[in-house]
This record gives sequence, C-alpha cells and structure tokens, in this order.
Amino acid sequence: MERITIDPITRLEGHGKIEIFLDKEGNVANTYFQVPQLRGFERFCVGRQVEEVPLLTNRICGVCPEAHHMAGAKAVDAVYHVDPPRTAKMLRELLYSAFYVTDHTTHFYALAGPDFVMGPDAPVAERNILGIIHKVGLEIGGKVLQCRKYGHTVIEMIGGRKVHPCTSIPGGLTKGITKEQRDEILEMGKWAVEFGHFSLKLFNDIVLGNKAYVDLILGDIYTHRTYYMGMVDENNKINFYDGKVRVVGPDGKEFVKYAPKEYADNIAEHVEPWTYLKFPYLKKVGWKGFVDGPDSGVYMATPLSRLNAADGMATPLAQEEYDKFYKTLGGKPVHQRLATHWARLIELLYAAERWVELASDKEIASDNFRTIPTETPTEGVGIVEAPRGTLTHHYWTDERGVTKQVNLIVGTTNNYAPISMSINKAASSLIKKGTVVTEGLLNMVEMAFRAYDPCLSCATHSLPGQMPLEVTIKDHEGNPVKVLKQFLE
Amino acid sequence: MKTLIIGLGNPILGDDAVGWKVAQQVAQRIEGYQNIEVDFLSLGGLSLMERMTGFKRVILIDAIYTRQQPVGTLTAFPLSVLPDPTTGHTTAAHDTSLRTALSVGRSMDIPLPDDDNVQVVAIEAKNVHDFSEKLSPLVAAAVPRAVETVMKLLA
Repeated sequence: MERITIDPITRLEGHGKIEIFLDKEGNVANTYFQVPQLRGFERFCVGRQVEEVPLLTNRICGVCPEAHHMAGAKAVDAVYHVDPPRTAKMLRELLYSAFYVTDHTTHFYALAGPDFVMGPDAPVAERNILGIIHKVGLEIGGKVLQCRKYGHTVIEMIGGRKVHPCTSIPGGLTKGITKEQRDEILEMGKWAVEFGHFSLKLFNDIVLGNKAYVDLILGDIYTHRTYYMGMVDENNKINFYDGKVRVVGPDGKEFVKYAPKEYADNIAEHVEPWTYLKFPYLKKVGWKGFVDGPDSGVYMATPLSRLNAADGMATPLAQEEYDKFYKTLGGKPVHQRLATHWARLIELLYAAERWVELASDKEIASDNFRTIPTETPTEGVGIVEAPRGTLTHHYWTDERGVTKQVNLIVGTTNNYAPISMSINKAASSLIKKGTVVTEGLLNMVEMAFRAYDPCLSCATHSLPGQMPLEVTIKDHEGNPVKVLKQFLE
Repeated sequence: MKTLIIGLGNPILGDDAVGWKVAQQVAQRIEGYQNIEVDFLSLGGLSLMERMTGFKRVILIDAIYTRQQPVGTLTAFPLSVLPDPTTGHTTAAHDTSLRTALSVGRSMDIPLPDDDNVQVVAIEAKNVHDFSEKLSPLVAAAVPRAVETVMKLLA
C-alpha cells in the first residue's frame, strides 16, 4: 500500500498528520487524520474546588476559551443544583453572542474567505486575509478589526477579562453591568448587525454570483449525508447558550432531542488504534465505520449542522437569510460541507441580532445577577454550542464541591469522523492510479477540514503561528513514495 | 522606547508556561522602569497583534518545540527571521500568523512595532502536551538565563 503523511514538526496552535495509503492500483485505500491530543486535563481538574474548573477549562483551548468557560459555568450551576437569575443568563448569553460574532468573523475573513474571495485557484501567496484586503479594499480590514475590538470589549465588560472570561460562578456572575455599559454594548451590537449584513452581501456578490463557486459548493467532493446536531430553544430555533440538543437524520427529520444531562444515553465514543482522539457517534444508531447514511452513527456538529438541526433562526434578519440559504441550495437538509461557510455567516448575523436583543432587555443591567446556591453539590452537565460544535462538560464532586471526575466532549471532536471522511474524499478525487496532484492535494485537503473550523489540539497559541502539514503517500506495501510538506523550513 | 514584554503560553500546560515564568521574574526586576509594560497572554495571530498596538518594541518570551535542539536551549531572534507561513496555505487552525497579523494591522495604520523590533526569546520545551503546573527540570533551569537575556535586550 502506498502512503501519504502530513506531520507536525513544531508545536503550534494545532497540527495534524495525515497518512494516505494507496492500493496496488495506486488509488486511495485509506486515509488517517491524526491529531496530537493534549493529555491529562481531566486528571488535572480532579481534587480542585469545582467552581475553579471553568477558569481552568478556558485554558484548554486558545481558540474558544469563552465556550469552555460557559459550558463549565453551566455544569457548575448543575453541580450545585442552582438556577441563575434571568439577568445572569442573559448576560452570559450576551457575552457569548459577542464572542460568536468575533469568532465567526475571524474564521471567514482570515481562513475561509480567502478560498472564495481570492478563488481556490489563486496563487497560495494571495490566499490570505492580506489578499482579501488588497482585492476588496482597505475598508474591509478596518471593519474586521473593528468587529473584533467591539467583541472583545463586550467580553471584557461582562467577563472581566478579554478572551479568558472569569466572572461566571455557581448561580450566576460576580458582577453585572451598568446602564452606561448597556448603552455602549447596544450601540456596538447595532454596528455588528450591519457588519453581519455586509459580510453576507460580500458572500452573495462574490461567491453566489460566480457559477464556478456555486458548482464547487454543490459538487460531490465535499458532500456527506450524515446526521446533524445542534442546540435549539423551545421553538426548535437555534440557540448557542441554552436549550436541548437536537439531532436530525440525513433525511432532515428529527432523530432525537435530548437534555444536557441525557448526553451519555445518546453519544458514545469509538476508539481507533491509530489515534488518541476518540470518535463520538450516535449510540442508538451505532458505529458502522467512516461511512455516510442513516445506518451510520456518524454525525456532524457545525454551523451547517445547526441550521439543518433547527427549524429556523430566532431573529428576523437571520431567518430571511436562512430561508434564502435553503431555497438556493435545494431545500433541507444541505449535505454539502462547503456550504458551512455560508451557514457560518448566517449565524454571525443571528449572533449580532441576539446581541442587540439582549442588550435592549430592560433587566440586562439589573443587580439581580446571582442566586446563592444552597444545595449540596453532586454532579452536573453543561452544554453550549461552541462555534465549531456542541460542547459538553460533565463534572462530579464530593459533598464539599471538590471535583472527583471530569468528562469533556469538545466541539471539534464531534466532527473528527466527518473531517476524516472529507479528507478521504478529497484525496481520492486527486490521487488516481498513482498520479498525485501535489499542490491540488494540499489545497483540497485544507479546504476539506477548514469547512469544519477545527481547533485540533486545542493548544493555546502559536509560535511562529503555522499549521505544518506533512503528507506522506505510501504504496501498498507501506513504503513512503512521496512526502508533501509545507512550512517546514 | 515604549516596550511591551509578553510572557506567552498556556500556564497549565507543562513547559508551555515557561514564557509566563520568565516574564514574572522580569516584572520583578524592572519595577520602577519607565515605558515598559509586562503582560501574560495565551494568544496568537490577530489577538497578539492587537495587544501590541502603540508599542515601538515587543519582547515575546515563549516555549518553542522544534525537537531539533536540546531541551532548555535558549534562543533569541527577531520575528523577521521566522518564515511567514500565512502567505501560503492554512497556517493556524483559527487565526493567521503573527507576522501576517502585524502586516494587516500596519496596513490599517495601527501603530505597531517593525518585525525587527519584535524580539523572540524562546526556550526549547520538552512537555507541551500534558497538563501540569510544573516545568520539566531542564526548562526550569533555563529560566534564569532567559531572564538575563531579556534584561540585556532591555539594556
């Protein structure tokens, strides 16, 4: 068997290793996407006061600390059997909405956008955020940075710190916001709604206005018919902070809707010998391998899957875009993974609208931001939608609230099987009878996993800030015949 | 020159915390210095660039994991000598490289240091995958030398 490997060389924000084994004819037999998992976090948390854990979990990941803080905060509420007051829940969701706007903006303009705005065939040196600025204009760079600034300002106002919030405690928050802060947050939110519109218009003009791009999105190469997961409110509309987790089948019909504490009845994890990371799947369907279809327990948890799993958006402008999305792409559910980039922008607009809604609520600046817990702590589950997938935290404590056990299913992990399947499909389309399209392979593999916005190993930062890949192609006897590297100099 | 010293890394991820530990000792040594700030961050790319706004010079202290030099090896170099991978393929899971981020910021007329004025002080790490609050011995032993290196850069 011939083999292709993509290997990490330096410690970075996230790194992947991809091995592609070829059969005797030189076609793809198997692909293996390996992620070096950070180890020992659960053990690290044991023996600590559980309210400290949301401060630790936001150090797991440099990409979405806010998501880990929120899932942790909700798990701690559940451990103490305490329901935070409405103002506390709204403030947390307001922070979270601002985070979503910021996170989705970064992904679209720094990572996903370049493939489309510059074009997948543009020279690699131009396919980055600088390329977008040069093509679309300086104004766009200013808007992106302004959006990030506003998002971080809201996170700091409510969360006490930029990026790594620290104000959630059992039963609510350590502090509220003033009326002046509320007014400031509201104005920034209105700007974010405009920015969401601007981003969708850009996508509309550049991507949907170009038949080649629409064909690329709708093509078979990035299509998988799987189950889809996302959190919904009581009306089955998308909610990132609270609600039940809904799963729909490849036919778009509801398969299950479960409360956070029921996650273990619904999700199991499959282990493969070639990777430390586990593959979550739907327990009631079962693990049937890396395959599509209603009989395979593989599911996806991304912006696209959230749109598929919900009946709509809870805000009016995002709902209009939701309707347009499905009308353009042929109805629900949408299986084409590259449509995730469009779905992400619709979520960006929803998050901005929700930001304004929450900031406009009369109770948002109330002093009633905490319920003091009175129950003996035991165990609890907290779930939020991280931008890159459903995030589950489960903590067990003794009667003093000292952590005995911690279990996490992080956003990207949900998508480990679908990402592997997409990489396999991309590789299979570019390697035929031993002929390898080298440049195309790297680009198509990147586009495959970029749609999922994975945070990979959840390390916290990057020096020098690259994600090195080493693709090794091995023949049917396991001998390396070609190694493709990038950024390893 | 208005200078920002950044201890970079994850404070609970083993040797990745070394940047913070060095920066903590530097902070004690420079008490009373004018125009110097010290910060402790777990950021990269655009966020790191945004923190550098308004500074003429930045010293980044970080763990590095090349596996091509002995654990604890101390190196100091300007950011400009690093390859800038973001001018090519995907380079970070959810961000751009620091050099590209700095270019973006400068194109927006944000006052930022030149790449030559972003000095990196890097310590070769051993464990950056297991959660722990302890540095491995050779990395811990490099901390005093790293502190002296930063102090020399400030002199």
